[in-house]
Amino acid sequence: MSLTLTLHTQPEVPLEAEAIIPERFEGMSAARIAATRLLYGNRGAALGDFFHVEGQADGELRVAGDCARIKRLGSAMSRGRLVIEGNVGMHLGAAMSGGEILVEGDAGDWVGVEMLGGRIVVKGNAGHLVGSAIRGGRVGVRGGEIIVHGSAGNEIGSSMRRGLIAVGGDAGDFTGVNMLAGTVVVLGRLGWRTGAGMKRGSIISTNPAEMLPTFSFACAYRPVALRLVLTHLRGLGLPVSDEQIAGRYRRWSGDAVEMNRGEVLLPDR
Amino acid sequence: MSEQTLTIRDATCTFCGCVCDDMHLTVDVNAHKITKAENACVLGRAWFKEHGIEERPFALINGREASTDEAIEAAAQILAQARFPIIYGLSDTTCEAQRQAVAIADMIGGNIDTTTSVCHGPSGMAFQAVGESTATLGEIRNRADLLVFWGGNPAESHPRLFTRYAVTAKGMYVPNGKKDRTVVLVDVRRTQSAAVADIFIQVKPRRDFEVLWALRALVKGHSVDPSIEAVTGVSLATLEDLANRMKSCRFGALMFGMGLTMTRGRHFNSGALLALASDLNAYTHFVAKPVRGHGNVTGADNVVSWQTGFPFGVNLGRGYPRFNPGEFTTVDVLGRREADAAMVIAADPGANFPQAAIDHLRSIPVIVLDPKPTHTSQLAKVAITTATYGISVGGTVYRMDDVPLTLRPALPSPYPSDEQVLTRIKQRVSELLGGNRVPELAPDSLAA
Repeated sequence: MSLTLTLHTQPEVPLEAEAIIPERFEGMSAARIAATRLLYGNRGAALGDFFHVEGQADGELRVAGDCARIKRLGSAMSRGRLVIEGNVGMHLGAAMSGGEILVEGDAGDWVGVEMLGGRIVVKGNAGHLVGSAIRGGRVGVRGGEIIVHGSAGNEIGSSMRRGLIAVGGDAGDFTGVNMLAGTVVVLGRLGWRTGAGMKRGSIISTNPAEMLPTFSFACAYRPVALRLVLTHLRGLGLPVSDEQIAGRYRRWSGDAVEMNRGEVLLPDR
Repeated sequence: MSEQTLTIRDATCTFCGCVCDDMHLTVDVNAHKITKAENACVLGRAWFKEHGIEERPFALINGREASTDEAIEAAAQILAQARFPIIYGLSDTTCEAQRQAVAIADMIGGNIDTTTSVCHGPSGMAFQAVGESTATLGEIRNRADLLVFWGGNPAESHPRLFTRYAVTAKGMYVPNGKKDRTVVLVDVRRTQSAAVADIFIQVKPRRDFEVLWALRALVKGHSVDPSIEAVTGVSLATLEDLANRMKSCRFGALMFGMGLTMTRGRHFNSGALLALASDLNAYTHFVAKPVRGHGNVTGADNVVSWQTGFPFGVNLGRGYPRFNPGEFTTVDVLGRREADAAMVIAADPGANFPQAAIDHLRSIPVIVLDPKPTHTSQLAKVAITTATYGISVGGTVYRMDDVPLTLRPALPSPYPSDEQVLTRIKQRVSELLGGNRVPELAPDSLAA
């Protein structure tokens, strides 16, 4: 049986719980796990003040209850599997380098901020700045995958360097802003100002979108790489159709005020 | 009847971010009133002359009159006990008071944020991301031959900006004032400021970013599709003309307002404008300045920056400063119902915040320091009356161009200053906590 933390007391102010990662609890007794220190507002608190601890650490850690006020779950994790059975707060999986996080509900802002590797799957919606850099940071995601089945907010993949971010629903404004490289796929609709300031990288949508004046139409074609990306996403459970996989896409090059080596691929229809 | 009058020369007006320091005030000592404010604009005259006799209680605790001492004790107790206390406001008080507020936030492990977060906060984020080609208002007055006002209406909000610094002012290299300058106004509607503009460019609402981005492309020599007009309402010819004027001027200045920072795109709008100013330095000298609203909001940015490293939206809950607008900005913290106590200094979030944020303020203990009764003081548990800065309190304020100026107060006040009250709250909190609060986390419990 995997280790399960069940929320019994809702925190009244934000609880910062970067200590809750599967690898930390390997070989620990329930009592020791319950004594793990978390940051509750401006003071420390014990994990057991908020969670019941059951089961044994076997690489999978399950967190049950509405964790919308709990920040930084899964931060910097490098292995194992973290399953959040409800909603989760900000900075989920910040700077994680490996392993997998599955959120069955919605996630807050800054999902997978500056992540290095591993995979985050959000079954519901995610907030703003999915897979972005922290404010003032020059480089966002450097590797790994973030899959959001629902919609996400603004600035998805801001300053990302490498990796894959996919959103099954709609995206907000400034998707892929200041991207350095990497791939962002939005199966729903893009907001305004997609790819503003991007140097390299690919932003793909299966719906038409408005382009900035600094992007220029290059050609319409059937990119082979896109078939691989979309087939991979279908394998992960996103609703990708055969038509989308085999379809023709219009390539927009930009951003001309930067290096102009990025691309936005939109369906040719 | 012998009227006893007093004259204060070169007093400083703290009504708006222009912080004009050439006010000559005449004070009727017996009537305890400022009767004349020479050189003041219509807003400054109202600021000085409408300052009336002060008859408010020194403090209110739960709506009942109390002494300042009792209120300071009550405030210190609230702040020392809170787990997620927030300190907000600070744009209409002195830098000396702002220092004390930051010190309290540090001591209690709280959140410190200023009214910047609801005005030019996005510009603060853009400075961090893009940088700032900057100048003082004096340089703009003496050198600028091209002025571009974007998303603001200084004729009504900062009346002396045009006459003292930017448009009609005569300067060393622009000896004929307005005749030597070209003035451009970019806005979503024709305001009173359009009267001074040689060129008025009307942008469709929320489309400033596209216009700025197209200008960046043109300045860099890229072509822009004429379809830009359909999106932004501005023709390509107009944009090309503006780009050429910008590249060929001797000293250009972009001065931008909340029409840019508080509309769709926010920090990217400010960032696009700052990047445009940087780009233009390949051709000529170009600067960008936010036109700031409150008298010492610029001081708040400076003080919070030199004390924490960041201008606003700073959390000290871990014992060190963390900056994250959206996470630690007051509207967001209150809207998510996260704070468990608040201290508001010289601001009125109870009047201008979203309803969800105000509702949360009603549900937590709030401490207010303000010279006047406000919506926030009415919902506060502890409301402390303080003296008005610039009129009764001396100290330092920063003009919108980051130039510090000294205040010359004209009228005595029975009330203590914000600085005096905050210093005493800090001392009492320090006694209650035994120094700065540092969270007792085992070192191994925090992720690397």
